[in-house]
Order: sequence, then structure tokens, then C-alpha cells
Amino acid sequence: MTVLARSRTDVVLDARRRRRIGRVGIYAGVAAILAWCLQSTILADTEWSRLGGGLGVLAGVQRFLWLDFSLVPHLLVPAVETFMMATLGTLLGCVLSLPVAWFGALNVTPSRFIAYPIGRFMMVVSRSVHEIIWALLFVGAVGLGALPGVLAVAMRSVGFISKITAEAIENIDPKPVEAIRAVGGNHFQVMYYGIVPQILPVILGTIIFEWDINIRRSAVMGLVGAGGLGLVFFRQMAQFNYGGVTMVILAILALIAVGEVVSHYARKAVT
Amino acid sequence: MAILEVRNLRVRYATAGPEILRGIDFSVDADDFCAVIGPSGAGKSTLIRCINRLVEPSAGEIILFGEDVRALAGRELRRLRRGIGMIFQEFNLVDRMSVMDNVLSGRLGYTGSLRGLLRLFPRADIDRALHILDRVGLSDHIEKRADELSGGQRQRVGIARALMQEPRLLLLDEPTSALDPKISRDVMGLVKGLAREYRVPALCNMHDVQLALEFCNRVIGLQDGFKKLDGPVETIRKADLDEIYAMEVL
Repeated sequence: MTVLARSRTDVVLDARRRRRIGRVGIYAGVAAILAWCLQSTILADTEWSRLGGGLGVLAGVQRFLWLDFSLVPHLLVPAVETFMMATLGTLLGCVLSLPVAWFGALNVTPSRFIAYPIGRFMMVVSRSVHEIIWALLFVGAVGLGALPGVLAVAMRSVGFISKITAEAIENIDPKPVEAIRAVGGNHFQVMYYGIVPQILPVILGTIIFEWDINIRRSAVMGLVGAGGLGLVFFRQMAQFNYGGVTMVILAILALIAVGEVVSHYARKAVT
Repeated sequence: MAILEVRNLRVRYATAGPEILRGIDFSVDADDFCAVIGPSGAGKSTLIRCINRLVEPSAGEIILFGEDVRALAGRELRRLRRGIGMIFQEFNLVDRMSVMDNVLSGRLGYTGSLRGLLRLFPRADIDRALHILDRVGLSDHIEKRADELSGGQRQRVGIARALMQEPRLLLLDEPTSALDPKISRDVMGLVKGLAREYRVPALCNMHDVQLALEFCNRVIGLQDGFKKLDGPVETIRKADLDEIYAMEVL
């Protein structure tokens, strides 16, 4: 009896040891890959002589620390513009997401072979193109200003909002839908009563989250001439006014903090 | 001999909130398998969680093995907790871990952080785990993931984990509420037998009066934060039980 129990313990101990060795092997492998990345991208690829030692790096950084407060009055309007760009872009993105989500959700799509692939393709296109690239495209199409920024933010938002929405639609509980069908509801009523209430909290949460992200995106739109704080940033950089650059960064930080607070309470309110 | 002595225990979760427990007194003896019954919201779970300080009492005294539980903190509190096995209503297993790892996690209170990280448990722990898994009838499921098991089997893993702690007291929080009647009886019988075998006293929340009368030697009845009933099973009258549960028929 004891002999049997002992040997069973050994079997378990052996199995655990093997698994532990496997785990440690994986950790070691990851560490090795990390070391290789560090070596090839940073250690071998940086011109250390040009850094000029620790003091040189500090000298480079300290230029940014002399804040240029004279810029403050010129930041308010661009900040508001950034905020509006994010908000309008998100709203437009929501509207554009509606058909995309409808097409791209398997259980409600008008046709599995035509509409569904189109919907899915639009999601991928929206997300695979960077917001700055979208902005460049729209600056080329409609000229400088906030409008291309709004359009770029909207295009970039569609992918995320519609994907989450489509997934929420696919994951709904089919029972209420069955009930609305059973009472004789038409196609629209089935969607409005059976689907929308189920997915609403997820959708609203996603939209607020996307708006939060869009504030960040809008803040850099100006780099390619699409207005907002990014434009001020670009100008300060071009004038080598490093203190001003820091001011703009602080303004973006403040704006994002405001967005964070608003979205925190908004998300609480919808769930 | 009383191993657990509770005096005038009071709990309120928010400073301005309602009192959940309103001055509870009782004691548990070394050979007790004591049921705590009462309708939902009576304060059963809160009471049991005060004993190992998962819930912070707002007033009163808890003396366990001659130690003032409310005075403990940090390392001392963890030392107390590792000596109290807890079995939960929803089993509280780590679903993605194997049965063996779940059971071994009962030893974490005795294991250093580094050993825990590497899942490096001493041979004696593995021995003990295999023995207990035999006792709860799970020796064929050692390497399965916890979420592959049925409800009754999952609770057996929970029981095994609690016993791994070499507990000096068992706390059971509605251990059978998530199980069907037949399995509930099996599980209660198993816990009762093991508690006797390992000579561990137990304090067991239950919803089901019938099970309590069947498996426990003592019954404490709670209603709305007050103790309404306390005594050996033989002395409990049906009228008392009806009174406790009267509020539930709403």
C-alpha cells in the first residue's frame, strides 16, 4: 500500500518536474528573443558617440523644461477645436458604423455572400489605415482645416465601433428575438425591440471609449495640417521653441485628463 | 471545550448602512458540526466570513483557539487563515488550473512566494494531496482542468483544497446550494465523515433545513441579523424553524 502510494507520488512529481522544466524553457526562450531584439535594434543601431554622454542627453532634455507660458492664450481655441474634432468624428463614425455592423454581423446580415464580406472588409480597411494616413488623404481631398481631421477620425473609428457592435449582435440572446417574431413584429421591430436593448450598454460603452481615444487622435491631426492642437505643436517644433512644445504637450495632457473624467462618469451612467 | 467563542458580534458594511449582524453570541466545541441556518439575507455568509476576517466586524469579540481574531494583522492573520479551511458555495476553484494544482493551492499558506511561483511543492504535500484526492474519490481526475469536472466533483476539489491546509476549523458557506439534492447529500456525507476523521470542528451555512437536521449535531438559527435559535439538533422544534423562515414567504 505505502509502496504503491510512494510510486504514485513519484509519477506526479516527475510530471510536475517535466512541466516546470518546460515552463522555465519557455521563459528562457522569451528572454533570449528579448535580448536579441535589444541587441539588434538598440545596441547595434544607435550611434553612441553622437549621444555625447549622459550630460548631452540631459542637455537635450532640459531644453524642453523651460515652459513658454506666453503660449497659453493661443492654446484655448485649438484645444476646443481638438475636442470638437474628436466629438464630431466619433458621432460621424457611429453613423457610418451602423450599416457596416449590420452588414458584418452574421445573424442579421442581408446576405452572407455579398453584404457580409463587404462589412468585414470595411472594418479591416478602417483599422488597417493609420489615422495620420487617413488625415493625409482627406487633407488632399478637402484641403486644410478641421474638416479633414473630423473625416479621418470618423473613418478610423468605424472599424472598432462596427466590429464590437457586430460581435455584440452575434452574441445576443436569441430568445427575446424569437418572442418579438412570435408576436408578429416586422423586421425593424425585431431589431428595435429584440436586439438593440441587448447590445445598447456595450455599444454606448464602446462609443465613449472610442471618443476617449479620438481625443488623442485629434491632438496629432494638426501634424499633417488638419487643425487642432497638433498644428500648434507642429509650429512650435518648426520654430525650435522647445518650451512651447512642452506647453502643447501639457495642454494635450489636460485635455485627455478631462476626457478621461468625462468618459469615466459616462461609462458608469450607461452600465 | 469551546474552540471558538463569539461575543456580541456586530457588522455593518457602510458606516451609515444597516447593521447586518446585530449582536451575535455563540460558541463552537471541538467536536461540533454546527449548522447556521436562516433565510437569504439573514447574515449567514457575513457571520462565517467574520471568523477568518474576510469581513471586518464593526464590534464584538471572536476568540478562536484562545486567540483574539480581531487583534491580528498581516502575517499573523495569514497564519490564522491557513489554519481555517473554507469551502464555498460556488466552489471558487481556479478553472484554468488542474485539479492537482487547485488542491495543492491549499498549501500556499505554508509555501514561500518563490516556491509558489514555480509550483514547487514538497513531496509531503504531493503525498497528502494524492491521499486526500483518493478520499474524496477524484484519483482518476488529477490532471484534468478544474472546469472539466461536474458540480459535485468540483465541490470535492474544494473540499480537498480545504483539507490540504491541515485545518483546525472548517468554514462551509452554503456548500451544497449549487448542487442537486442527491449530490448535496453525498457531499455533506463526505464532509461530515472527513471532519470526523481529521477531528476538525465545522461551522456550516445552510439554506436547506432538512440537510442541516440530518448532518449536523447543532443548529444556530439567524433571522435578520439576530440569533433566534441555538441548540443540539434533538431540541430543535419545527415551530421554531417555521418562525425563522416565516419572513421568507413573501
